[in-house]
Amino acid sequence: MALQVYTASLLKEGLVAYLCLEEGAASWTSDIREATAGDGDALTTLKITAEKAEQNNLVIAPYAVDVLETDSGWKASTKREQIRAEGPTVSLPRDASTVSITAAGRQAA
Amino acid sequence: MYQYSEQDHQLLLERVEQFRGQVQRRLKGQLSEDEFKQQRLRNGLYLQLHAYMLRVAIPYGLLSAEQMRTLAHIARKYDKGYGHFSTRQNIQYNWPKLEDVPDILDDLAAVEMHAIQTSGNCIRNTTSDPLAGVARDEHEDPRPYCELIRQWSTFHPEFNFLPRKFKIAVTGAIGDRAAVAVHDIGLKLVEGPDGNNGFEVYVGGGLGRTPMIGKLIREYLPKEDMLTYLEAILRVYNQLGRRDNLYKARIKILVHETGEEKFRELVEAEWQKIKSTGLHLREQDIQRIKDFFNDPDYENLADTDTEFENMLLSDPEFARWADKNTELHKQSGYRIVYLSLKSANQPPGDVTADQMDAIADLADKYSLGHIRTTHRQNLVLSDVKLKDLVALWGELKALDLATPNYNHLTDIISCPGLDYCALATARSIPISQAITERFDSYDFVNDLGDLSINISGCINACGHHHVANIGILGVNKKGEEVYQLTLGGSAREDASIGKIIGPAFDADQIVDAIGDVLSVYLENREDPEETFLTAYHRLGQAPFKEKLYG
Repeated sequence: MALQVYTASLLKEGLVAYLCLEEGAASWTSDIREATAGDGDALTTLKITAEKAEQNNLVIAPYAVDVLETDSGWKASTKREQIRAEGPTVSLPRDASTVSITAAGRQAA
Repeated sequence: MYQYSEQDHQLLLERVEQFRGQVQRRLKGQLSEDEFKQQRLRNGLYLQLHAYMLRVAIPYGLLSAEQMRTLAHIARKYDKGYGHFSTRQNIQYNWPKLEDVPDILDDLAAVEMHAIQTSGNCIRNTTSDPLAGVARDEHEDPRPYCELIRQWSTFHPEFNFLPRKFKIAVTGAIGDRAAVAVHDIGLKLVEGPDGNNGFEVYVGGGLGRTPMIGKLIREYLPKEDMLTYLEAILRVYNQLGRRDNLYKARIKILVHETGEEKFRELVEAEWQKIKSTGLHLREQDIQRIKDFFNDPDYENLADTDTEFENMLLSDPEFARWADKNTELHKQSGYRIVYLSLKSANQPPGDVTADQMDAIADLADKYSLGHIRTTHRQNLVLSDVKLKDLVALWGELKALDLATPNYNHLTDIISCPGLDYCALATARSIPISQAITERFDSYDFVNDLGDLSINISGCINACGHHHVANIGILGVNKKGEEVYQLTLGGSAREDASIGKIIGPAFDADQIVDAIGDVLSVYLENREDPEETFLTAYHRLGQAPFKEKLYG
C-alpha cells in the first residue's frame, strides 16, 4: 500500500494544508513536501489527528492522499493532488497583486 | 438600469449582517461545517480545489461603471487581483478568505450587488441577451422581465430548496445570444397572434451529463402571465422532481421522464389554479420596471464618420477589429463593441483589477457608464458613438482587450477546469491556451469564419462543450487527462447537442486533432460563406472521422 499524507483546507483561509506530526506535536503546512507520511498504524494516527483538527475548527474535510518520495520530499501521486499541492498550472492574470501560489510561495499554515 | 428601493437596500444589509453572524459562529466553532455549508452556499461561497470561491451575481449581465470599480476593488483588496467572468454572466473570485467574505458582501451591497442564490438548489441569476435594448433584431427589451423574475425569485420561500439548481434565461431578439435552449426555463419574447409581444416558453434544457434542448411547452404566453406561469412550472418541478438521485434531479429529467405532453398538462392545470392570483402582472407593474430601462438620450447622429471610414481603409488592424468586434446598433451613429477576454495572455474570462478599473473608465467615457457580460465570457460596451471607435480601439488595444476574434476560433469558452475546480477531472485552460497559441493567425481565424470551440474539464459541462461547433470534454482515464471531441453543437437559435466523434485524445494530441477537424472543413466547404456548422451538417461525421482516426 502506498504511503499517504493527510490534507485538508484551512477553515479561515480555505487554503490547502498538509498535516505534520513530529514527536506528537501536530501542525499544518502548505508544503506537501514537509508533510508527515505513513501507512498502517502511523496513518491511523495521522487520521485521528486530522479529525481532531477538524473538530477543533482548524481545518475542513481532511482526507488521505497517496504520495511518492522524491529528492525534495513527498509529492502527490495523482495529477489532481499535484495541482492542489502546487497551485494552478497556468500563470495567474498578469497584474495579479500577490505572489505566485506555488507551494513554496504559500504562507505556512 | 434598475435602482434598488429602500427595501431592497435594507434587505441586502440585513442579509450581510446575518451572514456575518453565521461566519463568526462558524469561526468560533458554534456551527459545524455541515450546518454552515448550506448558509455559505446560499451566499455564493464554495470551497474549491485551492481555496474558497465567491460567485457574485450580475443580474442579466448588466453592470454600471461604479459596480465594475467595486469588483476591481474586491479583486485587489480581498483576492489575488483578478476575477473570472462565467458563462452565466457572473463573476467569480478564486481566493477570498472566509473571514473577509462578509466585508466583501458589504462592499457589494453598497453598489446594489450580492452573491445571493448564486449557488445551492434554488433559482439562480437570470441571464439574458448582452445586447438587450440595443440589438437591431430585438422584438422587445427583455431586461424588465428579467428584473421581475429576479424580484420574484429572490428569497422565494417555496423555491428555496428545489430538487436541484434552477436556471432561467430570457431573450427578446431573433438571434439567441443567451443560450436559452439549454436553460431549465428559456423565455423568448415573440409577437403573438393578438399583435402583442408575449413569450415562447421552453422547459427542460440543460447540459451536464445528460444534455438536452429545452422543449417548447407554450407557444405564446401573454406577458402579464409570466410570473404565474413560472410559478406553475416551478411548483410542478418542486413537487415531482426527483430528490432521490442527484443525477436525475434537474427539471430536464422530469420533463423527459414525464413526457412533454403530460408535463405541459400538469403545468397548465397548476396554472389554471393560480393565474388570477396576486402574481398576475398588471400593465402598471410591468411599466414601473420598464421605466428603469428606458432608452438613454441618444444623440441624433449620422451613420458615417470620416475618421472611422479613413481608418478602415488605412489601418488593417483597426479594420479587422471593427469587423470582428463591433456590431450595428439600433440607433444611427452608434455601435456595440465587444471586449474580447480571449487574448493569448490570460485564461478565458479572466480580467485583472487594473483592467476592470480601466473598463469602468472606458464605459464612462464612451458608453453611457454601462458594461454587459456575455455568456461567451466577454464584455460589451453597448452604446459607443461611431466617431469614438478609433479612440476606444486604441485604449482597448493597450489593455489587451481588442483581440479581433468575437465568435471565431479563438473566442473559446473554458471552464476553470482542474486548475481551480474541485469537481474537474482534467484541465481546460491550458488546452484553450494551446489552441489559441497554435492558431494565432488572424488570416486563418478570419478565413474559418463563425465558429465556436468550448471546453469543459468534466462531465458537469460548465464550459458548455455540448453546444459548441467543436466541443472538448476533458476526462480522467486511468490517471491521465484525455480529451473527447464533439462536433456539431450550437447554443444559438438553431440549438443542438454535438455528437461525440470517437475515442478521446491525449493532451498532447488534442490540438492536432482540432487542426485536423478544421482542415476537413476548409477542404470540403462549398465556399467561404458556408460556416463550419452548415458544412458539418452537410458532410456528416464521416470525413472528420476518417481524418482523425484513419
